[in-house]
Amino acid sequence: MTTTLAGGRAARRQTMRRIRPRRSPATILLIAVWAGAAGVLWLWWANTPSISDNNGKILNAGRITGLLAGYLMALVVLQMARVPALERRVGSDRVARWHAMSGRYTLCLVLAHVFLIMWGYALQAGKGLGDIVQQTIDSINQLPDMGKAAIGTGLLFLIGLMSIGGVRRRIPYDTWYHVHLLTYAAVFLTFWHQLTTGNDFAVEPVAKTVWYGLYGSVTALVIWYRILTPIRLNLRHRMRVEAVIEETPGIVSVLIGGRKLHRMGAEAGQFFRWRFLAPGMRFSSHPYSLSAAPRPDMLRITVKAIGDHSERLRELRPGTKVWAEGPYGALTASRRSRGKVLLVAGGVGITPMRALFETLPGAAGDITLLYRANSTQDLALWDELATIADERGARLMYAVNSPDGARPDISAERLQQKLPDIDKHDVFMCGPAGFAQSVYEALRGAGVPARRIHHESFEM
Amino acid sequence: MRKSHPVRRVVLATAATVSGVVLLLSLKPSSDPASAAAGGAVSPPPVAQESAQGGAQVAGTGTVTGDVAQTQYGAVQVRLTVAGGKITKAEAVQAPKGGTSDQKTALSVPKLNQEAVAAQSADIDAVSGATYTSDGYKKSLQSALDKVKAASSQGQGASQGAGAGNAQAAKTVTGAVAQTQYGPVQVRITVAGGKITKAEAVQAPKGGTSDQKTALSVPKLNQEAVAAGSADIDTVSGATYTSDGYKKSLQSALDQAGG
Repeated sequence: MTTTLAGGRAARRQTMRRIRPRRSPATILLIAVWAGAAGVLWLWWANTPSISDNNGKILNAGRITGLLAGYLMALVVLQMARVPALERRVGSDRVARWHAMSGRYTLCLVLAHVFLIMWGYALQAGKGLGDIVQQTIDSINQLPDMGKAAIGTGLLFLIGLMSIGGVRRRIPYDTWYHVHLLTYAAVFLTFWHQLTTGNDFAVEPVAKTVWYGLYGSVTALVIWYRILTPIRLNLRHRMRVEAVIEETPGIVSVLIGGRKLHRMGAEAGQFFRWRFLAPGMRFSSHPYSLSAAPRPDMLRITVKAIGDHSERLRELRPGTKVWAEGPYGALTASRRSRGKVLLVAGGVGITPMRALFETLPGAAGDITLLYRANSTQDLALWDELATIADERGARLMYAVNSPDGARPDISAERLQQKLPDIDKHDVFMCGPAGFAQSVYEALRGAGVPARRIHHESFEM
Repeated sequence: MRKSHPVRRVVLATAATVSGVVLLLSLKPSSDPASAAAGGAVSPPPVAQESAQGGAQVAGTGTVTGDVAQTQYGAVQVRLTVAGGKITKAEAVQAPKGGTSDQKTALSVPKLNQEAVAAQSADIDAVSGATYTSDGYKKSLQSALDKVKAASSQGQGASQGAGAGNAQAAKTVTGAVAQTQYGPVQVRITVAGGKITKAEAVQAPKGGTSDQKTALSVPKLNQEAVAAGSADIDTVSGATYTSDGYKKSLQSALDQAGG
């Protein structure tokens, strides 16, 4: 297939030449975020000559939290703008976790800001903490843009409430998603009061310009990558369902045809967000990994029927139009730093691993796939995997529960026994969170450094 | 893939934010409590903030921020933009907020700003219906004007020579370029209290044997210039042309510093 060289040192050198691990830009981005926060604090510092009393302390604490919230709000939106550098280099999963984390933190800052400022205003007007509600109503009525800000803040808290773990699990994904889209409205509504009543922006034209620049560029990125880029992609490639194949009970593959699909630049290990324009499905889009290397005329996804959406996939008719956004995901060959690779798949997590198993460059014996499933019947795509293993001299192993239901032993010792040089491997892993966690610990125990374990997880 | 501890993260983030905010607040100076006791009298200008920039600012365009004046409804603080000794702009950096104060501030502050620029003093009319704000405004304005005065009287002592940064500080003067057979020579001196405290060559002949001669002669000439306090210094033997050029440029620098 990819190489005709026999195994051995020469072959390994040949492979190594193609391996140039790309560093994730995460560190640089985090430094930039901190520098921006420092700049925002400096803005407050420069505009506050002195703080006279407790009232001033409360008001200024409110200003600091407000400024930071305004700054972070822009970043929280930016994290979901589907910027390729974030989605493909940092990894969609990691960015989504950042988004959730910073979103929660920002909401807390907003809460602190509202409370502190209203308390400070109440004190200024000679009232106490008890009059804070009346003060809030007065301020909304009298200050410019405060009505908008109040509605926006209300929306933000509604969105935050619906994203709390327990609440979110109880409501359908689509409802949650569409409410979450209201964030854009909320951010727009809260933006204006920052400029008109914000102490630091009302007097400083430079600060005002910087703030417009921050929010303006985030808006531009959102419009470009969330709206225009998908429109262009779908107009160009015109994807349709070609066929739906049942792989094992409960796991189906969907073949998707289109024009010049190789031009989308998708790599094995990546995923798209799919929207099938069939009745009842057109309003929700879901991320599914490619389960085979992309071909110029064909893409394939393999999905386990666990939810509403994935259940309906098996009823898709050939010819159904498909709206896709992507490719996203950083679990690709570019993460690799060594010649030898171990792929670990748990259940339907086989999909990106199957694509990587086929395409990762390597000599015979370099690539190993470990496939964990409940039983041999659940080993979806097994025949294909066996064929690939045969053709390229790769190793294929599976671990299933014993007939009495006992879990297979995936421990550090067992892994070392199977792959004596496991500490020289790069490991790519995809599977349910619990499985991934236990395998991760076993791998670390077997001497694989953390930086060479590549894992994608969408658990928050 | 590291194990996450959500609770620990929440505690850490909260602790870091609260202590950061408290630290920032406590680092800010509070205005003199004595002034508040004296019924909102203006406190003397803070030393650290304005005086360092004061001398340089007043000569050209600069902003001066008055002290905070406390009123019943909140703090008032005025910032002036001064150009050529005149107030070109007045604005309130702080003004009462919240409740009905917002309306009053919105009504009175623009008027007060205009009056301040028109009157060029703190002798301005109070805006009716916003007496407290007007009073606070006038007090803060007066303190800003005091600062402008203090800074400009300080500035008068300073020489207005090019590059003069501050009244008390030394100033540097660069002499004219003197052409010699081997290349240009230019001297820069630092003058403080009428004396040369430092002399250096910004330009000197270069290339070929000139490098050696420059290396030999310039340090000596620098020393002589500081010792003599004038351009009447000895020529370094073997570097006559450079010495002559040095003396010419030094004389021109001294002329500038003297005039």
